[in-house]
Amino acid sequence: MGRRSFLRASAVLATGLAALAASLKPLLDMNDFPTLQRFLQKYYKEMTPQDMARVLKRIEDEVQQQYGLRPHVRDLKPMNGVEFVYCLNLTRCIGCRKCVHACVAENNESRNPEIQYIRVLRLPDGSLDIDKAEHFYAPESVPEKGYFYMPVQCQQCKNPPCVKVCPVHATWQEDDGITVVDYDWCIGCRYCEAACPYWARRFNFTKPSIPKERLNLDMAYLGNRPRRQGVMEKCHFCIQRTRIGRYPACVEVCPAGARKFGNILDPNSEVSYILRSKRVFIQLKEELGTSPRFFYYFDV
Amino acid sequence: MTPNAKTGITLAVLCAAFSALTLGFLSGSGQTQWKRPAIPLVDTNFLDRSTTRKSYADLVRAGEDLSDFDCYACHDKKKPPPLRLDTNGNILVAKEHSDIVMGHGQHGRNNNCFNCHNENNLVLLQPRDGRELKFEDSPKLCGSCHGPTYRDWEAGAHGRTSGYWDRSKGPIERKACVNCHNPHSPRFPSRKPAPGPHPLREIGLNAGPQTGQE
Repeated sequence: MGRRSFLRASAVLATGLAALAASLKPLLDMNDFPTLQRFLQKYYKEMTPQDMARVLKRIEDEVQQQYGLRPHVRDLKPMNGVEFVYCLNLTRCIGCRKCVHACVAENNESRNPEIQYIRVLRLPDGSLDIDKAEHFYAPESVPEKGYFYMPVQCQQCKNPPCVKVCPVHATWQEDDGITVVDYDWCIGCRYCEAACPYWARRFNFTKPSIPKERLNLDMAYLGNRPRRQGVMEKCHFCIQRTRIGRYPACVEVCPAGARKFGNILDPNSEVSYILRSKRVFIQLKEELGTSPRFFYYFDV
Repeated sequence: MTPNAKTGITLAVLCAAFSALTLGFLSGSGQTQWKRPAIPLVDTNFLDRSTTRKSYADLVRAGEDLSDFDCYACHDKKKPPPLRLDTNGNILVAKEHSDIVMGHGQHGRNNNCFNCHNENNLVLLQPRDGRELKFEDSPKLCGSCHGPTYRDWEAGAHGRTSGYWDRSKGPIERKACVNCHNPHSPRFPSRKPAPGPHPLREIGLNAGPQTGQE
């Protein structure tokens, strides 16, 4: 090799290597590399109880490392003979948004950027036209004259379009009717967000930020454990509460008693009573055939 | 110019361009550090799960001051208190009870104290059917007029429920009518809503880097 061609080749090589280094530089800012254990984690439905115990311990360790607090993470399974249904009384809802913030606090949703599972729509009286809805309303006091309020969250469809489009089966419907997301399996393609007709899914564009003092330490694997950047999340009927028999946070905080939750397979539950005897109830966008488990009703 | 010289010049130019870009990227110039504008944390009052009012039963349970319910500290047992109405038929609330604002029923139609209170025994409530009820049993009094609502409340469809939906796991917590409604003015009070989502245009995403604090 002559001197000239050697110099030329080494100049090209040096430039190329430097450019490669520059292009990889953003990796230096990445602090969320998957551990080998997370990288080799099995699919949720294929995990043995021992696998799951290891995974739960790993999550607890990760949370402790990040926030300095030891959480209690559980993997809760659906209960036998239970199918959850949610009923919301549009006559009673006053649009105070307490449910939104109770949900954020319970489910460790990011505060900045804001991720909120519930979106309270303000609609003019006499119409259910979603095009006329407004969710940034900020009056001095609610309810306002001439409007009613319709909170929208994941409708836990019986025929969920979001589940059908997931290319990696990271989201599925459980036996008690809750559609869950495995945050460790989600690849962040956001197909499900596009498929959902209720705008119910939220994407973590950045690493979620949760103040340490507001972290809810009672966590579930498919529920409110902290999410990573680049994964999808949504309302899961407070799996960490409802699967041990408690009411969801939004039900307990509603000052107007507009939110009702229970087991539709139990004829004595309040939701059974409502669907049986209240005169009017709607499923949002029922013409789409998604068959939501979330019912809106009125006091007549 | 020979093809060889042309290749050499192209390579040199490309090398120079890439080196400049590399230096630019590595030194971090060209990328502005964009700091996310702050969003204030929500007031913890909005996370409060207590009801708007306390019922008599709650006060008893909490061992709180019940002097408000000790009618015969002031009233005379033998003399039922008089009922005063103005010329329009609106009730005149005695100044000792000035904390009571009457507003029960449309157009103030339910404005007689003794529609609900027993005038001969003020510590009791009395629905129109003549039953005598203690303050703890006030829902039955409300139910004597508001039948359908009482039926819904009994089934759990009206009013707040908290605790356990699964009764085998724990107790369900029900609230009385007066936990939310003021019996003298039962319309549910309006309130300030919690902050809505902060739209990006408001927190200053369009305003460019490090400007537009909310």
